Amino acid sequence: MNLWENFDKNEIWILVMLAVAYIIVFILARKFYRHITALFFLWGFTIGVLFDFTIGGGLMDYYVLNDTDKYEVFDFLYYLLFGPFSYIFIYLYDSFKINKKTFIWYIAVWALIGTGMQWVFTNMGIIQFKEGYELFYSFPVFLMTQTITGLYYELVKSKTKVLLPKTK
Amino acid sequence: MTFAIFFFASWLITALFLIIPKKLSTIENTFVFMIILIISINWSWIIYEEFKLVNLTEEPMEYAAFLLSRSIIIPFVFITQLNLVYAVTSVTRVVLTILMSFSFLLLMSLLSQIFKITEFTNWNLGYDALYYIFLYLVSYASLLIFRKLELSEVRST
Repeated sequence: MNLWENFDKNEIWILVMLAVAYIIVFILARKFYRHITALFFLWGFTIGVLFDFTIGGGLMDYYVLNDTDKYEVFDFLYYLLFGPFSYIFIYLYDSFKINKKTFIWYIAVWALIGTGMQWVFTNMGIIQFKEGYELFYSFPVFLMTQTITGLYYELVKSKTKVLLPKTK
Repeated sequence: MTFAIFFFASWLITALFLIIPKKLSTIENTFVFMIILIISINWSWIIYEEFKLVNLTEEPMEYAAFLLSRSIIIPFVFITQLNLVYAVTSVTRVVLTILMSFSFLLLMSLLSQIFKITEFTNWNLGYDALYYIFLYLVSYASLLIFRKLELSEVRST
């Protein structure tokens, strides 16, 4: 396991994006209980790890993350980007009061945002597709993961208090 | 045959988890499941692919069986045993539950060897046992941490 193969464009971009993503999270007004925030940060991180180690390594190796197929510390930092992504997803889900009528639109827009982010990642040299994998193959992946995230949030909301009481 | 056996094991542990009375809440179960899943994925990658201590099959169906073991069987075993442990009252039953789940995990490791999913090069079943003990500790620690986080704020509001 290396820290990095070559410290260049992709590593710098990961650091910049991590800083931006976590600053956004800190700027946003607190909405959820701490354990709910932790849960959805971990949820995003887990999805990133699960998909990357399933279709981006081993027998199904459709892309290279950062400089090599070897595990680098910057791969781990890349997965950390999925935490704020997941948090902002449920943050806006709640802010926009997504319901049965708007659920499909919300998920579709986020799947497009996810695919757009992957396009950005490929241009920054963070992800390099191989074995004929194309950017648009990620769209169904995002569609599925965002749908599950939305439904899971609804399940959690129905079973436990997720929102902090409003201060006067 | 290998895939069928591992698929059956995945189905069995998932079904078992679904039918048992839950002593952990949905979010607690999810939290511990994700922690174990992340460690399971990273561990297998580092031990198999980075350090090459274990050879992993290149046969697609056997590889699919490995994915089932890594991503479904191992995390579900840990959250199932946690729910069962918190459901029983006697120490004997707690020990029995942990021993049964531990035996099941070791059996899956053994089956991985028998069906050539994995081949030990500089590894043995004892190391797998130590790894599972580490996962037991992590599962209990992560649940305690999550509960602490949950109670600290919910109680104060």
